[in-house]
Amino acid sequence: MSWFIRTAALVAATAIVAYGVATTEDRTDPRWLALLLMLALLWGIALWPSLGRQVRTMDRTMVHVVAAFGVGFLLVGAQLVRVQALDRERIQSRIYSTGTEVVADPRRQALEEESQRGRILASDGTVIAETQMGDDGRPRRVYPFGPAAYLAGYYSPALYGATNLELSYDAALSGRSEARRLREWVDGILNRPTPGYDIVLTIDPELQSQADRLLGGRPGGIVVLDAHTGAVLAMASAPTFDPNQLSVGTTASEEELTAARTYWESLQQSNDGRLVLRPTQGRYPPGSTFKTITLAGALESGLATLDKVYRDEGALTVDSRVIIEQNRPDPNRVSYTLEEGYGYSLNVVFAQLGLELGASRLTEAAQRFGFGEPIPFDLPVAPSALSVSPEHLTSPAGLAETSFGQGQLLVTPLQMALVTAAVVNDGQIAVPRLVDRIQTPAGEVVDQRQPETWRRAMSADTAAQIERAMRWSVEQGYASGAQIPGAIVGGKTGTAEVGDRPPHAWFIGFAGREEPQYVVAVVVENAGSGSEVALPIGKALLEAALQR
Amino acid sequence: MAARIRLLELQLLVLPALLGIVGLLTVYLSGTGTTRWTWADIWVSLAFMGLVLGTSVWLSLIGFSGDQVLFPLVAMLSGLGLLLSQRLQPVLRDDPGWATLAQRQLIYLALSFGLLWGTLTFIGLGLILVTMIFGIEIQGARLWLDLGVVTVQPGELVKVLLVIFLAAYLDDYRDLIATGYRLGPLTLPPLPYLLPMLIMWGMSILVVVLQRDLGNALLLFGIFLAMLYIATGRVAYVLAGLLTFALAVYVALHLFSHVGVRIQVWLNPWSDPLQAGFQPIQADYAFAHGHIFGTGLGFGYPEFIPVVASDYAFAAIGEELGLLGTVAVLGLYLLLVTRGMLIALQARDSFVRLLAAGLTVVLGLQTLIILAGNVRLLPLTGITLPFISAGGSSLLTNFLIVGLLLKASESVGERR
Repeated sequence: MSWFIRTAALVAATAIVAYGVATTEDRTDPRWLALLLMLALLWGIALWPSLGRQVRTMDRTMVHVVAAFGVGFLLVGAQLVRVQALDRERIQSRIYSTGTEVVADPRRQALEEESQRGRILASDGTVIAETQMGDDGRPRRVYPFGPAAYLAGYYSPALYGATNLELSYDAALSGRSEARRLREWVDGILNRPTPGYDIVLTIDPELQSQADRLLGGRPGGIVVLDAHTGAVLAMASAPTFDPNQLSVGTTASEEELTAARTYWESLQQSNDGRLVLRPTQGRYPPGSTFKTITLAGALESGLATLDKVYRDEGALTVDSRVIIEQNRPDPNRVSYTLEEGYGYSLNVVFAQLGLELGASRLTEAAQRFGFGEPIPFDLPVAPSALSVSPEHLTSPAGLAETSFGQGQLLVTPLQMALVTAAVVNDGQIAVPRLVDRIQTPAGEVVDQRQPETWRRAMSADTAAQIERAMRWSVEQGYASGAQIPGAIVGGKTGTAEVGDRPPHAWFIGFAGREEPQYVVAVVVENAGSGSEVALPIGKALLEAALQR
Repeated sequence: MAARIRLLELQLLVLPALLGIVGLLTVYLSGTGTTRWTWADIWVSLAFMGLVLGTSVWLSLIGFSGDQVLFPLVAMLSGLGLLLSQRLQPVLRDDPGWATLAQRQLIYLALSFGLLWGTLTFIGLGLILVTMIFGIEIQGARLWLDLGVVTVQPGELVKVLLVIFLAAYLDDYRDLIATGYRLGPLTLPPLPYLLPMLIMWGMSILVVVLQRDLGNALLLFGIFLAMLYIATGRVAYVLAGLLTFALAVYVALHLFSHVGVRIQVWLNPWSDPLQAGFQPIQADYAFAHGHIFGTGLGFGYPEFIPVVASDYAFAAIGEELGLLGTVAVLGLYLLLVTRGMLIALQARDSFVRLLAAGLTVVLGLQTLIILAGNVRLLPLTGITLPFISAGGSSLLTNFLIVGLLLKASESVGERR
């Protein structure tokens, strides 16, 4: 056969391999097997020995048989390249679990038992999660710092896999790091166990303890952030779970497994969302704290200034819906500036503002704060939403109630903390960070996380105006309980109506010495009014943050 | 017979010797973190090297003039097998009391070398002898077939017997089978002469059905087709054979659920990850863990594959020696096949040619079927990996084949 046909066959074979590898996931995908058959033919054509007519039959056929074997071995080679080089990550990460039985690569566990899984530490070195050797010589994952244990999540390779930081930082904790490939390779050759890396969080253990204590087991969530760096200083959630009781390794005894299963079932049966991360996954109606976003939309579009005067006569009829005003400081006074409307949390004023603004501009304002998008974070997050059904905003009544924080709004505490952070950070939102750095057990920093900007939510000018309104709210409005002597404080309370049950209590706020630095978002479910329940918690945390 | 130094063979034997020493040291290094060893650890390797070197020297002394590449290849592969058993021995805890895994492998190897010497010594005229025994033509065939049907279970030796029978039969009727009857423009296959062949085919199917053994059926039928093709050069026979075989497998698939399970687990082991699919999944994990360079002997976890020593030896190599190791092993086997076929090509006597070619096909096809099963190119079968898998009877048979091939190559050397 001519060299041209051979070359063409080789080129076609290469193209088929590339196409097959790109389009199929498994080596026994029928399409890939069919491609292999074509590959065998093409390789056969490329390698077929050309023997003259004068060669005797048996000589020729023997050479043919060797060529056929060559093609067969090449096919085995192709499968080998797939399993050992191209598909390996996909193969290694494949796991099957029924809840009681797990099929996964046992090497990961074996390697982890040889190497120590890394620790999870608070910013001052307080241990949140570590692997301890038991008296029986078997490793156990323990979580000594209760208030932050749920952030670490559980590590339960024998039963339930991993969650939260144990899951999202699994690679680093088990000693894999892109930056140190060579080191790990050398370790492997010398059979030195590669110890897992430690994860150091931005969490301040004192603030975290205090947040947990203030929440006191009532369902709800708290986020405390540094507005300029995005560092999460405290993040509390209640009710939550005890990861110590779920973390069973593959060497666990039958009693430990049974105990973990029992605890897991009790978590499932309690049905109060103990495995939900309320600060990042809990979605609540935000109540009046949402007025901050309506205000941002109005100021940003030039529709209003803080000094613009609105009428509030105690009630407003939109379509057939009557909005009753309960928040006026003086029943005889009917005109209020926008700043006062925010500080006294006047629903009628914000209903009018929202109707002026219109659905599309309100939606745009919320989207600029990150509504509808998952917030980039180290833990699972739920996106916040302006409405459940898109039509809700098209009716004037729906638009009006959304503008003062009711309607179908669903917002996470982290989202509201970021809204507040944008106000004091000149309109920009920093990416929230829970992990500060990754380091070796000896303390050598492998990966230092730097503050990053996530998005611009509004202009610096608008941010300054809202900051003024929030400070007015604390100095003269309904959030006056949040005043801290000698500090700049701003805030907004919220009391989110939820049907027949008591309302959710909300507070968002900021504080700083020379300029605002720390922000807080608090929600306590079905606990009453924001200023009575959530505000004291927020104030205490801001005060504590200022004393850091 | 005057002594003549087999220099090329001695030079090539340096490689298996190095493999044995370096490999063993890595295994100890991985276990203890030091390269300290004791005689108790290393005597198995030294005994094996002694066997290999002794055989080569003995071949030189008796003035054996046969092929000098085949033996180093086999020494390399069986050395790798011994190394693997030394490596797996501490983790498998597979010790029946009288000998460890490596010691047993060494004993089998010693017996195999004995068989090799025996083959070379006593089948001096043996090939002609065999021709005489099996040259009883049809009667011989019937004898063997009767034997086959009665025993049903084709042991390892059956492969060799089949090759010898086919070589003798095809040598006699080659021209008739190749040309067939001419009937006007049509050429009909010479059915009476193909009849024994058809019985062969039927038996292969029987093996599938009765033994649930797709691998051995494929192997026996493959040997048959390859030899028929070598002797006649008729592609049509091969195509017809493959087609009918595929048809039979298809029918078996629908009649017997166990065959169906095998196929299903091959196509998607995750369809039954706790039972039938468990092994292929574990083998996949092992291959994937090996990556390009492998973990190094002793540094991986081949013990997680339940039957690593027999069925999945290649996966253990893949994990610890990496893609470079597996491709190198593939290369060794391909060299072995090429070398065997070269011996067949150079032999003068047409029976010896067919015999050598058939024996080479046995080695190559076994390797291909089990390797393809390991990498999920084909469904996994219970065939062992020649020279590497732990196990006595297959090692003995494969060394018998090597002995016959070496013997066949001697006639070449004399002719030159």
